[in-house]
Amino acid sequence: MDTRMLWIQLVAVMVKEVRQTVRDKRVMFLLLVMPLVQLIVFSYAVNFEVDDVPTVVVDRDDSAASRRYVAGLLADGTLTEVARAGDEGEAERMVEADVAKAAIIIPRGLSRDLARGRPAQLQVVMDGTDPTRAGVAAGAVSRYFGEVALDLALERLRIRDAALGTTTRVPGVRMEPRIAYNPRLITAVYMVPGIAAMLVLMITTIVTAMGLAREREMGTLEQVLVTPIRPAVLMVGKLAPYVVVGLLDVALAVTVGAWVFEMPIRGDLTFLFGATALYLMSTLGIGLFISTASTSQQQAFMGGFLFILPAVLLSGNMTPIHSMPDWLQPVTWLNPLRWYIEIVRGNLLRGAGAADLWPQLVILAVMGMGILVVASMRFRKRVV
Amino acid sequence: MNPPATAPDHAIVVEDLSRHYGPFRAVDRVSFHVERGEIFGWLGANGAGKSTTIRMLCGLLQPTSGDATVAGHRISRDPEGVKRSIGYMSQKFSLYLDLTVEANMEFFGGAYGIPRRPLRHRMEEIVGLTGLAEYRGATTGQLPGGIRQRLALGCAMLHRPEILFLDEPTAGVDPVSRRDFWRLIRRLAGEGTTVFVTTHYMDEAEYCARIGLMVDGHLVALDDPAGLKRVHVPGRVLDVRGEGLVAALPTAREVPGVMAAEPFGAGVHVRFDTGTCDDARVLGALREGGARVAGAEPVEATLEDVFLAVVARGKEWE
Repeated sequence: MDTRMLWIQLVAVMVKEVRQTVRDKRVMFLLLVMPLVQLIVFSYAVNFEVDDVPTVVVDRDDSAASRRYVAGLLADGTLTEVARAGDEGEAERMVEADVAKAAIIIPRGLSRDLARGRPAQLQVVMDGTDPTRAGVAAGAVSRYFGEVALDLALERLRIRDAALGTTTRVPGVRMEPRIAYNPRLITAVYMVPGIAAMLVLMITTIVTAMGLAREREMGTLEQVLVTPIRPAVLMVGKLAPYVVVGLLDVALAVTVGAWVFEMPIRGDLTFLFGATALYLMSTLGIGLFISTASTSQQQAFMGGFLFILPAVLLSGNMTPIHSMPDWLQPVTWLNPLRWYIEIVRGNLLRGAGAADLWPQLVILAVMGMGILVVASMRFRKRVV
Repeated sequence: MNPPATAPDHAIVVEDLSRHYGPFRAVDRVSFHVERGEIFGWLGANGAGKSTTIRMLCGLLQPTSGDATVAGHRISRDPEGVKRSIGYMSQKFSLYLDLTVEANMEFFGGAYGIPRRPLRHRMEEIVGLTGLAEYRGATTGQLPGGIRQRLALGCAMLHRPEILFLDEPTAGVDPVSRRDFWRLIRRLAGEGTTVFVTTHYMDEAEYCARIGLMVDGHLVALDDPAGLKRVHVPGRVLDVRGEGLVAALPTAREVPGVMAAEPFGAGVHVRFDTGTCDDARVLGALREGGARVAGAEPVEATLEDVFLAVVARGKEWE
């Protein structure tokens, strides 16, 4: 068969796919609205920053000093005072009733004990149902009072030195963290690359998986098979439009990330789109594979989710890979999502290019080729 | 390409064609030929192997043994060549229901590799031939069955196939649309297109120049409609009306010379050999069996009679 005929057939399949997609309101929704909604919802909702922990304060000392401490503790915004309680019991009941997530109890005589240089006790009650919040809040309290204790100690030394006419040098370590790439530690900046990768996976995999299943369900596949179209032409024609869709979704995510969430774009976007093309080989290949194993659109849809859910959970986007159990970590090596997220994040946030990210690129390319070859072999067998 | 093994006037030549699924022989050593420009009917009960035969002849399914030459292409060696030369329309309207009439034609035209300009020209012809002009922009799924079926035929003809395979093309279509459809089919055959058609409607089978009848994977009868009737339903057929007729059929079957007595429509059909039996004896036997005969008249045997006779005999062989 001459190439002109192949080309006519390929164009016919692509035009038909695009027309069907454009006319299907559900798929158009999936392609256009869902990415925006997910991008916004995920970026705002998945927030690892802890602040505004509702706190009940019990100040039994009720001195100028204790009031200063409470004000200082609340100053950085991690804890927010929502109520005052008369005693410890009342404060605990308020935590139990979920009025507050934390209680700070300053005992009677705190300022007196501190003034006399006696050890003082301070009690913090935390609601541990959300370990991250509890941990961060407890950390904030201990850090603050650690600084208070240090200041008190230095003050006493200064007074003693002045009285004795000596100079005591106190060796002190103060940490001054300087955070590179995302200095304000905005979660969205970290999340957007991951969400972009997830979106591409969800959309291209599910739409491809359902595409062929729909043809089989409607009986159109048989009509196509009595034409002289070759399976390879049919396959390429069906996948090509979704390569464009995948690239557009990445462009959309990067644009929204940059405009709405002030995500930096430090890398070369041409490199990013090239890497996306490699990633799409995997996502489209998996979609194609699922479609060869499904007889109905519903099956294909379920099959798509069966893959997507673990892929998202094992991508390192929601949970860091190094905090997964040892036996589970190697499983993430087989996850194209993991490697692509590393590329997007490295490229956008750090400006990394092929020199840094070549291992990920090679893995994606090899994985994509493998999946596509297996899927197209199955496709040929199922189709002929 | 090898020289076609067919005589020039044979559009399809089938030689010992078989398709087995494990021990099940869906099609078992079937041989026949179809002439160019002929409307060839392919009948059989559900599961008799009709669709399997068509799928093999269309290059969708490879035979287990035997072979066939379709439009000069061997189905075993050149299924692509077969696909280029045939049009196929199946019982289900396998068009894209979510696309417009025009988009469907553009897709299938492209699938056959027809370049843009000739395709536009051919689409005009097809739209005129099938009377689809007013539906061009309509979504296919919203059209009534008869119009969709014309579109399916139109899509199958875009590439000017030598042979059209129609697998129950009129299933579920109203009688007026069926008549219009067959008018179109006969016109195409008149212009030289070979038509290979399966149907469940025996009145449609009467339009066929020749008919092959399949029972349990075997080709058991092949002739023109008149010949089939002569061979398989010989004798005189009497259409009897009245009451209690069905209950009296066993009595009628006892009469010497009676070859068949079956319910038909509101009455019964009794077929007998005119040499050994006559109308009076048949009606007498029915009355004897308790029936009240209101009227009787001789009728032509139909293809339905042929079908029932052949299928019944096929079952006796088992």
